[in-house]
Amino acid sequence: MGLWEAFLNWLRSLFFKQEMELSLIGLQNAGKTSLVNVVATGGYSEDMIPTVGFNMRKVTKGNVTIKLWDLGGQPRFRSMWERYCRAVSAIVYVVDAADPDNLSISRSELHDLLSKPSLSGIPLLVLGNKIDKTGALSKQALTDQMDLKSITDREVCCFMISCKNSTNIDSVIDWLVKHSKSKS
Amino acid sequence: MAQQLVKKDDDRDDEAEYSPFMGIEKGAVLQEARVFNDPQLDARRCSQVITKLLYLLNQGETFTKTEATEVFFAVTKLFQSKDMGLRRMVYLMIKEISPSADEVIIVTSSLMKDMNSKIDMYRANAIRVLCRITDGTLLAQIERYLKQAIVDKNPVVASAALVSGIHLLQTNPEIVKRWSNEVQEAVQSRAALVQFHALGLLHQIRQNDRLAVSKLVTSLTRGTVRSPLAQCLLIRYTSQVICESGNNTQSGDRPFYDYLESCLRHKSEMVIFEAARAITELNGVTTRELTPAITVLQLFLSSSKPVLRFAAVRTLNKVAMTHPTSVTNCNIDMESLISDQNRSIATLAITTLLKTGNESSVDRLMKQITNFMSDIADEFKIVVVEAIRSLCQKFPLKYRSLMNFLSNILREEGGFEYKKAIVDSIVILIREIPDAKETGLLHLCEFIEDCEFTYLSTQILHFLGIEGPKTSDPSKYIRFVYNRVHLENATVRAGAVSTLAKFGAAVDELKPRIFVLLRRCLFDSDDEVRDRATLYLNTLGGDGSVVETDKAVKDFLFGPFDVPLVNLETSLKNYVPSEEAFDIDSVPKEVKSQPLAEKKAPGKKPTGLGAPPSGPPSTADAYQRVLSSIPEFANFGNLFKSSEPVELTEAETEYAVNVVKHIFDRHVVFQYNCTNTIPEQLLEHVIVIVDSSEADEFSEVFSKPLKSLPYDSPGQIFVAFEKPEGVATLGKFSNVLKFIVREVDPTTGEADDDGVEDEYQLEDLDIVSADYTLKVGVSNFRNAWESLGPDYERVDEYGLGPRESLAEAVNTVINLLGLQPCEGTEAVPPNSRSHTCLLSGVFIGNIKVLVRLSFGLDGPKDVAMKLTVRSEDETVSDAIHEIVASG
Repeated sequence: MGLWEAFLNWLRSLFFKQEMELSLIGLQNAGKTSLVNVVATGGYSEDMIPTVGFNMRKVTKGNVTIKLWDLGGQPRFRSMWERYCRAVSAIVYVVDAADPDNLSISRSELHDLLSKPSLSGIPLLVLGNKIDKTGALSKQALTDQMDLKSITDREVCCFMISCKNSTNIDSVIDWLVKHSKSKS
Repeated sequence: MAQQLVKKDDDRDDEAEYSPFMGIEKGAVLQEARVFNDPQLDARRCSQVITKLLYLLNQGETFTKTEATEVFFAVTKLFQSKDMGLRRMVYLMIKEISPSADEVIIVTSSLMKDMNSKIDMYRANAIRVLCRITDGTLLAQIERYLKQAIVDKNPVVASAALVSGIHLLQTNPEIVKRWSNEVQEAVQSRAALVQFHALGLLHQIRQNDRLAVSKLVTSLTRGTVRSPLAQCLLIRYTSQVICESGNNTQSGDRPFYDYLESCLRHKSEMVIFEAARAITELNGVTTRELTPAITVLQLFLSSSKPVLRFAAVRTLNKVAMTHPTSVTNCNIDMESLISDQNRSIATLAITTLLKTGNESSVDRLMKQITNFMSDIADEFKIVVVEAIRSLCQKFPLKYRSLMNFLSNILREEGGFEYKKAIVDSIVILIREIPDAKETGLLHLCEFIEDCEFTYLSTQILHFLGIEGPKTSDPSKYIRFVYNRVHLENATVRAGAVSTLAKFGAAVDELKPRIFVLLRRCLFDSDDEVRDRATLYLNTLGGDGSVVETDKAVKDFLFGPFDVPLVNLETSLKNYVPSEEAFDIDSVPKEVKSQPLAEKKAPGKKPTGLGAPPSGPPSTADAYQRVLSSIPEFANFGNLFKSSEPVELTEAETEYAVNVVKHIFDRHVVFQYNCTNTIPEQLLEHVIVIVDSSEADEFSEVFSKPLKSLPYDSPGQIFVAFEKPEGVATLGKFSNVLKFIVREVDPTTGEADDDGVEDEYQLEDLDIVSADYTLKVGVSNFRNAWESLGPDYERVDEYGLGPRESLAEAVNTVINLLGLQPCEGTEAVPPNSRSHTCLLSGVFIGNIKVLVRLSFGLDGPKDVAMKLTVRSEDETVSDAIHEIVASG
């Protein structure tokens, strides 16, 4: 039965390639571009330059092709986030969990963005990055500090990850792949 | 689409001009642009939509800020597609829509990625777009990639980087200058376009360093440049270097001339032409240098390509202005071009012929032109009219047929500019050729009998008022003038009244009759006309008898209006109505800025009606006005001559200073025109310290400093010297600019309180003999020569030593004497062994001078000269000889 199911899934995947589009946002130096690299190639580099504008990457996981809009996190780009979040399958918001000073800014930027009517109902995935560092927040603390409970008009999920150690990256991909299916 | 196809079939003739995008609507296209946001992109469709958007933009359609922003962001999403054609359209669209700087930055990262792509087309285009949108800080980040791109193996990429460098040099020169090494490498590229662009950039980088440009040219002229376009550039840079190095012809050959000459034998026509043109434009080019260039241009004249014919004839036309004799060889080829299908070529050919022709061919050419005038457009007719004007100045004896021609075409149909050119020409001929005055005036009178242009009518009436009374029979013009009072609109009528009054004032016998006419004007329906009639009746002294007119009245009628209109306007605005009448003398006469007189060298082309009516050209008049506004100069008498501005500083130095020498009978005034080119500085109490220790006979009497000299607004300093009366005293003066410098904050414009004293060395200034002679032409040299008589004739012979050519010797002597060559005798025919040159002019003290120079070649290069002078004064004749002897 299980075998049969798996075979059917495989067969279906041959005919039903799925596609999803994601926007990757968050403050500068949160680890967005690193995340893209980890998801796409599994590689990690300490030495990154700030993204000026956006990077567009296509990543294939199983039978799902993911289009990733990796946007710059510097203040001058924040007003443009909304344009690249319209009509995506999910918004991925990356937070530096080891940088408590910027959490309040990160929170207000997130809530500002979600209040835009054009983005209503789009699922949100919040990722607390850099848990390999000492002093990183716990998932509960992050949820509280980001005030995620107050977001009720959409599906919200939160993971704690580390791009450096590839911690929890699998569950992120699983979550994403699941959402591409549910959408189609 | 179907409709368009049907339409295409209907009118096949228009097919070529029919655009498939004709009639598309902005709104609809913007709707279509939504496909950019589709999750599944259709690259072909997207490309089409971008094409439509670009079409709209190029048709002049404008997008509102929101529309442009929407389109821009939608287009950025297309970076996800891997389709090459589409990516190319994306690049174009980003450049074309050029959104604001804070938005366009969003594509930076994507472009940087493309800039390092493996696909050449991506690299090249991404570089172009990135450089277009980048700012200084970002440029520093991508500089490394750009340097790499300059030496890229792919020529398209290298060119893209080089061209971007040319653009970026305007905004970020210090960064681009660091690329010199790479650019130099690119100059050696095998690809023609890369070489061209690299040379252009390299020159721009070194532009301000004269020595570096000279080195560049020296190394490249040895023959590493293969691309014809780059070769053309190199020729241009070379001629620039030649021009700046000044010609030390004494020492022999001009530098780089050999290179230019060798380019005349290049395979590419473009290079040949460029070289030929460069040679013809050389400063003081000699006949020997000119000959090879003329020969290739002559070959081009019979080329089958219209563009070559045009280029050649246009260049020859210019050469004909300075070296008419050199062009005569081409006359036969040129004559066949008169019937060229291309009218531009034909016009240029005929005007060139007019310049090169000798006196005997004038009549024949005039006949040919008459046939030809009716088929050309007004703008070409203007060219012909101007050519005829200069022809007439050259051959004053031919004025009769030329004047006839002008009056004939004046009667034909034509637009305002054309008619104005004709009228201007006639006016200039009247002024320069006394014999032509009466016929010319009659032609003009005839013209205003049926003239549809108010402007021309009033200008001619004014001119008639000045010149008419001086003719032998002034009364015959009055009928024409008075007709205007009956037949024309109010503006012309008012002008006619003024003209009548001038006749009345100048010719006493006519006064009673003029009074009758003026009285009739009192009943005119227009206020201005009546006012003028009343005014003139009163000023002329009302009783209408034959009496001599007061000098004051004459001054009022004929004198120039010496109050600047701007100042008069402000004074009138400030005038408060009261018992006290408005006093025109209270209006300040000092002109604040005087842009016309200094920047432009005095107009080479004589101005027509626009200029003040009597004798002096406009600049001299402007100078006179400026000088008379300074009370200290009031008793210096009449201004004899103002020289051309002489530069006392190198170009592009901190302070630009040139000087105009004003010569009076007993004084010399130096007018220093200073410009401060440093935005961060304010100069105060600016003076020029003139050391006249090498000019014993001059003594400084007065100096007018400049209170302040802010950035980029020119100011004048005057220094006056006394000198022996009526004698051509020579001297050398050294000048130092002294001032107090105050720092200025360029953003606020606030000046620092503390000033520092500083000085600036200027170049030396000479008073030469030519400063004392005025170029005044005579129409008939022989008559003038005879009438002056042999009383004060002085003859002597001089050996001028070895010279480049006869023409060069003639030019040197003409420039030394500063007299006007007559009857076209300044041009020396090529290969001639002797030449006679006639000069005329006025020496200081208003003494007429005529000079006859006979040159002859003595041995291979030695030139001998016989100088015969006639003048109204013995001492002046001697003085002229002294000039030559000491020069």
